[in-house]
Amino acid sequence: MVTIGIPRALLYYQYYPMWLTFFQELGAQVVVSPPTNRATLAEGVSRAVAETCLPVKVFCGHVVSLIGACDYVFVPAIRSMAYKVHNCSKFLGLPDLTRAVVPESPPILEVEIDVDQGKRALYQAIYSLGRRFSCNPLKVKRAAQSAWQAHQDYVARMRSQGLTPLQVLEGQSIRDETRGYHLSLAVIGHPYLVYDSFVNHRLLERLDRGGVKVYTPEMVPQAGLDEAMAQIVGQAYWTYEAEVVGAGGYYLENQVAGVIGVAAFGCGPDSLMFEMVERRAKKLRGCSFMSLMLDEHTAEAGLVTRLEAFLDMIQRRRQVTACG
Amino acid sequence: MRVTAPHLAHLWVGLKGTLEELGVESVPPPPTSRRTLSLGVKYSPEGLCLPFKLTLGNFIEALEAGADTLLMAAGTGTCRLGRYHLLQKQILQDLGYKFKMIPLGVSEKKFLGLLHIFKFITGGASWAKIIPAVLLGLKKYSVIDDIEREVNRVRAVEREKGAASRILRQAITAIAEAKRPHSLREIRKYYLEKLAQVPRNPNIQPLKVMVMGEFYVVLEPFSNLDVEIELGKLGCEVHRNLYLSDWTKFSFFLNPLGMNEKQRVHRAALPYLKRDVGGDGWESVGEKVLHAQDYDGLIHLAPFTCMPEIIAENIMPTTKEDVPVLTLICDEQMGKPGMLTRLEAFVDLIRRRRKAREKAAI
Ligand code: SF4
Ligand code: SF4
Repeated sequence: MVTIGIPRALLYYQYYPMWLTFFQELGAQVVVSPPTNRATLAEGVSRAVAETCLPVKVFCGHVVSLIGACDYVFVPAIRSMAYKVHNCSKFLGLPDLTRAVVPESPPILEVEIDVDQGKRALYQAIYSLGRRFSCNPLKVKRAAQSAWQAHQDYVARMRSQGLTPLQVLEGQSIRDETRGYHLSLAVIGHPYLVYDSFVNHRLLERLDRGGVKVYTPEMVPQAGLDEAMAQIVGQAYWTYEAEVVGAGGYYLENQVAGVIGVAAFGCGPDSLMFEMVERRAKKLRGCSFMSLMLDEHTAEAGLVTRLEAFLDMIQRRRQVTACG
Repeated sequence: MRVTAPHLAHLWVGLKGTLEELGVESVPPPPTSRRTLSLGVKYSPEGLCLPFKLTLGNFIEALEAGADTLLMAAGTGTCRLGRYHLLQKQILQDLGYKFKMIPLGVSEKKFLGLLHIFKFITGGASWAKIIPAVLLGLKKYSVIDDIEREVNRVRAVEREKGAASRILRQAITAIAEAKRPHSLREIRKYYLEKLAQVPRNPNIQPLKVMVMGEFYVVLEPFSNLDVEIELGKLGCEVHRNLYLSDWTKFSFFLNPLGMNEKQRVHRAALPYLKRDVGGDGWESVGEKVLHAQDYDGLIHLAPFTCMPEIIAENIMPTTKEDVPVLTLICDEQMGKPGMLTRLEAFVDLIRRRRKAREKAAI
């Protein structure tokens, strides 16, 4: 049986159930690289050129950790996931970048997904990927359909039950609602920063333990995303604008006392989008906003200090409003 | 209406003439300077690329000088650039300026789109007025570029350093003032002859160097700290893969020649990078593969945090077509002394490499 390796990085958090279903239906076995650790990060950092953003370095580290564990590594090149909405360059160049940075990687299984090109092209791309495992077009089609269904279920489940990808994918404990939270915050940003607890120094866990109920972009209803996007940027241009600008804009006006943006240092799109959210926060005044920049040098102590200062500020703000 | 646009190489030489012809008042930003840069840096988010910061600085200085209508490149498929105008507009509004921003979707509607923009800012001038005025502006770019190409060759071998640059400056002044296509032809001839007469140092064997990379930093000398002039001083004949007129031709017309050249570059990149990654990353890889044999070295210019060029930077070292590449990251931290040290070391390296090859060939 063919084994396909999936790096636990970048788009894994958004599309893993889809990919898993697709490959399993076609009779392949899937392995996922272990969660990011010191070695993964060190590998990635030492191989990619220094200017590369942290998440891509982490991704390369994960590919290295799959060497010897699988026959192929799956690295899609995702150009667009919606009409006229573009992805960051890094996602387009990912297969070629991986080959250059990790030359000893197992053969790379790549597919170009460009929804902008229409259904036909999309189906053709999926078919040519599936054909490597089965020459029966019907079987490929069925696999693609189940994969799409699995993705829909995944998204719906997170949205309706208020779950994060980690809770669904890795069965992390469902929150104990009875424990009582004294504060609600939203954490927004790319899933590969928000959910990689090594990279963000266990941010979500830390907040949860501190009695903060955390909301994430996946929990925002579609209508809420659309409305916030229209307010702040008009039409969507970047794929992840929804998870940053849309979710950020939504939470600034709903449910929470503060929003924490998690951004990668040196990430082009992030710097543009978080600035827009921050300006919006200043205009609205009601809700506090803080952004955390992550890179390979981010120290845990520094992050904790900033987090504490932010929480303090929110508490003080609340007291002032309560007295006034 | 007092129209402005950011600086980009000699953009204003053509633009000012065109706007004047059409009777539109224009306010070119003051020449890009340290002040422009520090204004741009001050009001921009930290992680944005240099083009964003410098164009924002240009806008602030133009607004101070009384501009009220800002033209800014936009459009999809052009990397972050397509999104710049949104944030710049917000930043400038938050600073308290009153203005109107017109995003130019240059790559989508081509020449027609450009004409319509002029129709709009002239408040509906006749096509018979607009078309020749725009064509004259475009013609100016191609004359400047013809002269600049030659200047980039002469700089390497001129006996008196700075002679070619001086001629270029004179030529630009003359071109800016020209009102007719035929006077442009004369200007071109006159200055090309003048360049041919510049005394040369016969002992210098110029090295051939190509400057390539991200569009803005390749074109805008302020952002690359005049890398071409510095290379010239070090005895390098500079070729650039991109001139303003190539770009205007390519973006405003469907230029079949330009298209072919682009395709050739893309095809060369294919074994290493299979698709367009936005910006100019694909081209950077392709240029290296295609021209490895033609040059002694390549200077790769990339703005800090520029995503497409970072991909290129990761991939370029792995191509089997071998030629030394020096990547210079352009940002507000880059200082002249640091850059010169790196350039000198690089030029040394490619000179030795060339000598070794010549020996091996004998
Ligand atoms: S969006 Fe930002 S963090 Fe993600 S790959 Fe692109 S540059 Fe890196
Ligand atoms: S190509 Fe590079 S410099 Fe240009 S907008 Fe994109 S990231 Fe910025």
